[in-house]
Amino acid sequence: MKKITIALAGNANVGKSVIFNFLTGLHQHIGNWPGKTVEKAEGTLVHEDHTIDLIDLPGIYSLSTFSLEELISREYIAKEKPDIVINVIDATNLERNLYFTLQLLELGRPMIIALNQMDLVEKKGICIDVEKLQKILEVPVIRVIATQGKGIHELVHEAINLIERSYKKPEIEYGKEVEKEIKKIIKSLNKIELDYPKRFLTIKLLEGDEEIKKLIEKVNPKIINIVEKQAKKLEALHGHDRFTIIASERYKIANEIVKDCVTYGVCKFKFSNKLHKITTHGFWGYLIMILSVLSMFYIIFSFGNFFSDILVNSLMSLQPIFQQYFGIGIVSELAWGIIEGLIAGITIVLPYILPFYIILGLLEDSGYLSRIAFLMDRFMHKIGLHGKAFIPLMLGYGCNVPACLGCRIMETKRERLIAVFVTTLIPCAAVTTVILGLVGKYVGLTWALVLYVIDLIIVFILGRIAFRVLPGEPTELIMEMHSYKMPHLKTIVKQAWFRIKDFIYIAFPLIIVCSFLIKILDITNLSESIENLIKPVTVDWLGLPKFSGIALIAGIPRKELTLIMLASHGGTTNFGAILTPVQMIVFSLVTMLYIPCVATIAALIKEIGWKKAVFITVFEIVFAIFVGGIAFRLLSL
Amino acid sequence: MSEKSMRLIDLKEGQKGIISSIVGGRHATQRLTDMGLTPGTEVKMLRKGNWCPVEISVRGSNLALGYGVARKILVKVKE
Repeated sequence: MKKITIALAGNANVGKSVIFNFLTGLHQHIGNWPGKTVEKAEGTLVHEDHTIDLIDLPGIYSLSTFSLEELISREYIAKEKPDIVINVIDATNLERNLYFTLQLLELGRPMIIALNQMDLVEKKGICIDVEKLQKILEVPVIRVIATQGKGIHELVHEAINLIERSYKKPEIEYGKEVEKEIKKIIKSLNKIELDYPKRFLTIKLLEGDEEIKKLIEKVNPKIINIVEKQAKKLEALHGHDRFTIIASERYKIANEIVKDCVTYGVCKFKFSNKLHKITTHGFWGYLIMILSVLSMFYIIFSFGNFFSDILVNSLMSLQPIFQQYFGIGIVSELAWGIIEGLIAGITIVLPYILPFYIILGLLEDSGYLSRIAFLMDRFMHKIGLHGKAFIPLMLGYGCNVPACLGCRIMETKRERLIAVFVTTLIPCAAVTTVILGLVGKYVGLTWALVLYVIDLIIVFILGRIAFRVLPGEPTELIMEMHSYKMPHLKTIVKQAWFRIKDFIYIAFPLIIVCSFLIKILDITNLSESIENLIKPVTVDWLGLPKFSGIALIAGIPRKELTLIMLASHGGTTNFGAILTPVQMIVFSLVTMLYIPCVATIAALIKEIGWKKAVFITVFEIVFAIFVGGIAFRLLSL
Repeated sequence: MSEKSMRLIDLKEGQKGIISSIVGGRHATQRLTDMGLTPGTEVKMLRKGNWCPVEISVRGSNLALGYGVARKILVKVKE
């Protein structure tokens, strides 16, 4: 058995993950790149006498340094040197895809091209001369229809063939003036040995790539002087900045290839176009969006509540059986605490997060997600985000966990951070039960509504502040509007499952430990002393009764527990008898804003790293106490 | 026929223009050129609404651009 590594690379939404899932089946793992919050999908397969390690690189448009994904991809290819790079191309959008292909070729690894979505090409009346394309690019080009599994085995077969043949790197030549500068600079790189090929380094230096510049500066700063001088000359000659010059050159080559290989006929793909027009329409588009978002909510939460009830009831009914085996006593009580934590985790993941991932996958894969982002863009700009952030924000009202994980659809770290932060401030379904059960029931629905409005105002203000304070240029919406297509359900379900596996590893230990600690507090007398310890905050600053302290702490693993603990420590479920209306409002307000629940914190750690997660958590605790105290004073006037 | 210079955002629906330059930060310029909006490229305004970004057609595919970036792109239009 020979071991080889193959990397899949290409633009976003070209069908890479369909190919990846087809090949690796259940032998895959979705995690993060070491130390980075970018998703890494890895899998293995056996093909004839080869064991293949398959890496699915993130979907990107270029190999510059705009995003973390781009940097990770090029570093991986240059440093880890996969035996073969399979460049997956959307055949219906050849020009933009070839722009990326040309950059991949410059990295110098043996490469083959998977020309995907050949079925759509036909429907759109586009005719591609594949043999000619292969001849021009000097790499094998395989026709693929990934959703039907066509051409994928040939792809692997050809990849292995290519390793066994010797690979001759094709030379793509730029325009005369640029080529002249490249030749000059490449000579000065003669003695430098880095992971990247010399021609790639030269072109990146000419573009003004900061990372490559740093690399070369360490070895020989003189080279940078030469490059800067030549780049200035080029800029003067062309009248554009250096990055634009090189990008234009590449697109010129891509455009010529398309002219040579592609002819256009009659497009028979009218339905997708009509659907696009109506779903982005100034009136109908919004109506359809509201209806689909509402029904998505309805499906996720009605299914979730139903399924979670069944799960809780059947799992909790295990307690008597458990007690039969382990007896009744402190040890058994504590052990059951651990099991309760496990149950809490299961009843979040299976009923809510799994369906959420599947529905989000369907929306994304079909192309509807980009239409929603399109419609909501200007509105979201008011809190410093662009259209795509609307989805996680809406989902936050159901459960913050999938909402945080959903923030991955944002492009840059900065956007992701703002979106995640704002999302944790949205009252989830559990907080809603607290607000309705206390304020709604005993003070009045108007006051419950007021709390929601206050929350929206806070989201707006804090969102704006985060937008101002965080360094970096705000990213504007620049988004491809793909044609609608049938989502590939099998890939979506598989991806959802592997993503959840990764989440479980982080969240479950946290939830279990927390539930266990709360159990200890509950059965020992510690809760009394803790109530006394935080009395200055709960009683003196927030004006709440002393027993509410433990209730707030109990909300850390699951927020609906605050209400249950309030009843058990207050001695009654008639909250009107133990709390004044002002206390109810303050208590609900604090519950709404303070610490995100443990599962959300786990999601935060996964998405933005533990340092920022801790910061957000601490900030929100302090902020909630601050706002609660002010509300208490204002309401008591 | 004379040429007139204007911002991409000022194109009418269905009107075509040739990109002459992008005035903006390095970041935005880099992203736009990576997506194929290089000088000399023809773009067509497909749609612009009051509340939405603009939608354009470039290099055989459709792109949505926020108002902010659409203002930074200068185009030449034949009159």
